[in-house]
Amino acid sequence: MPLQNAVADALNNSEWVFALAECVHIGGFAVAIGSIALVDFRMLNLGLRRETTARILRYTELWTLIALLFVVFSGVALFLSQTDIYRVNLIFPLKMYVLAAALIYNFTVHRKVATLQNPSPVVSKLVAIVSLLLWVTVVFGGIFTGFLV
Amino acid sequence: MPTAHSIQSIGSLTAFSESVLAYPIVLSIHLACIALFGGMILATNLRLLGLTFNSLTITEMVTSLRPWKRVGGTIMIAMGLLLAASKAETYAPNPFFWTKMIILGLIGVHALIFRPIVYSKTEELDRSPVIPAKAKVSAILSLVLWTSMFVMGRLIAYWD
Repeated sequence: MPLQNAVADALNNSEWVFALAECVHIGGFAVAIGSIALVDFRMLNLGLRRETTARILRYTELWTLIALLFVVFSGVALFLSQTDIYRVNLIFPLKMYVLAAALIYNFTVHRKVATLQNPSPVVSKLVAIVSLLLWVTVVFGGIFTGFLV
Repeated sequence: MPTAHSIQSIGSLTAFSESVLAYPIVLSIHLACIALFGGMILATNLRLLGLTFNSLTITEMVTSLRPWKRVGGTIMIAMGLLLAASKAETYAPNPFFWTKMIILGLIGVHALIFRPIVYSKTEELDRSPVIPAKAKVSAILSLVLWTSMFVMGRLIAYWD
């Protein structure tokens, strides 16, 4: 694949391009997960209580989406730079499954409950806890992909 | 570097850095804190700049997130120091590590300067018809400092 080769060449031949891709990837997920966590903390009544969850979601959703795009594009570039390593990695596919679950959950269940007029506090809290757990698991998956080869 | 060697040779630190699981777990916690609590720092600073969350008062934004930022920041720094101490010999000559530590010090200086005039005076900021310049300066400096801190953290791995 010429595209894969071009991406791999760019990332492998210059240490700085690879470092930049990593910074974008990590910075992107910090902003994406951080912005989702603000909604979760509101749902858990742990902060920003003077505003509704729906409003907090409206403030953060664009940030989440843009940051996720950066994470996915930089992630694909990092993947293409060393496909052989990822193909045999035991943790990497698990990370991808949890990531897929977290993304689907975020834009369906999480979004739905966050925008409800009067959600039950128990449901809200449960939904927020699952959200935080899913995203923290993705972070652990990313680090462990690099450590348990 | 005898001091660095003696730090990382502390029995428990050696066991830690050689553990297959402990080191990546601590690194994951360090990064999860960056994500969860970095988001709060970003949100607070954007509010101080008047860019978003404008239906919330600055007071609500700063005070309701303050305890979580303290908890998160403490865990993040504790985990970071543990990671550095366990590899003291490779960190001691690393210029990116020391740059990061200097930035950490500057973040402390930022807090000393701006806490009394911005973060402890949020009600005054909320009463002001426009967000005062000192709040915006504080927010921009905070964003620059934390971004540099983050980039230096990543670059530590690239020095050899």
